[in-house]
Amino acid sequence: MKEDLELRAALKAALEPPGDQAAFVARVMAQYDQALERATIPTLDVLASWFRPGIAAAAAALIAGFLLGRTVLTPAPASIDAAMAPLEGPGLAALVTAPDPPDASVVFSSLVEQR
Amino acid sequence: MGSSEDDAALVARTVAGDRAAFGVLVERYAGQARRVARAVLGDPDDADDAAQDGFLSALVKLSQYDSRRPFGPWLMRIVANAATDRRRRRNVRRVEPLDASLVGGGPRPDAAAVRSELGDRLRAALKELPERRRTAVVLFDVEGYSHAEGTVRSEVFHGRRRLRTLLADWKEQTR
Repeated sequence: MKEDLELRAALKAALEPPGDQAAFVARVMAQYDQALERATIPTLDVLASWFRPGIAAAAAALIAGFLLGRTVLTPAPASIDAAMAPLEGPGLAALVTAPDPPDASVVFSSLVEQR
Repeated sequence: MGSSEDDAALVARTVAGDRAAFGVLVERYAGQARRVARAVLGDPDDADDAAQDGFLSALVKLSQYDSRRPFGPWLMRIVANAATDRRRRRNVRRVEPLDASLVGGGPRPDAAAVRSELGDRLRAALKELPERRRTAVVLFDVEGYSHAEGTVRSEVFHGRRRLRTLLADWKEQTR
């Protein structure tokens, strides 16, 4: 493919930037230090700064989840006292006879009674 | 400044922290970079912003440059990418162009007006080309880059055919 000098000249003229080249060079060089500074910030530090709040939130959620899970999943001690307690406590009787809707602790204690 | 120094040596000095060496590279490639960016973007101010982005991006990536290869094409690829990115962002927040008479700053002398009209037509024709073809034509026909690869050759062929037709029509009209 041969060069087309005429087309080259016309295109070059059409694309020639209107402004002063020295001004453009000065403008680029004015950003030199800033560009290098931005580039030298270690990427891991940037990522760490982004993720630090996320990591803290995740850790808090993990701890909360662990504590909640332990509360819910830990079986009640299988002592004879615990097994007999509902017969004497307010649990099931209170649930059945109460004029108002039961509160959660009563429901919970009635469930414990069933076990 | 040592403007006769070859690109690879200037790159090596820049990587070593020599600001002046980078200045020589910017001076050497400013014209090319601005034209390539203008081919992609059309608007000269946007093009200068993109060319600047390209130079600064090249500065921070300079340690990745393979000095066995020519520096110009490597830099122009970065500039073209910077221009493409800027065009994408611009398309998102497109504004109405200024009236041509305001941009032109009043009447021009005849010869300048004729050249300017041809320039307008060529820029408009370039704009119609797909971006890859447009960049290929400008790199080959304006900046004198060689084009060994087949796909680029095809892009140049189709792109310049359109521009040549336009140039021939223009010559007919002004005869």
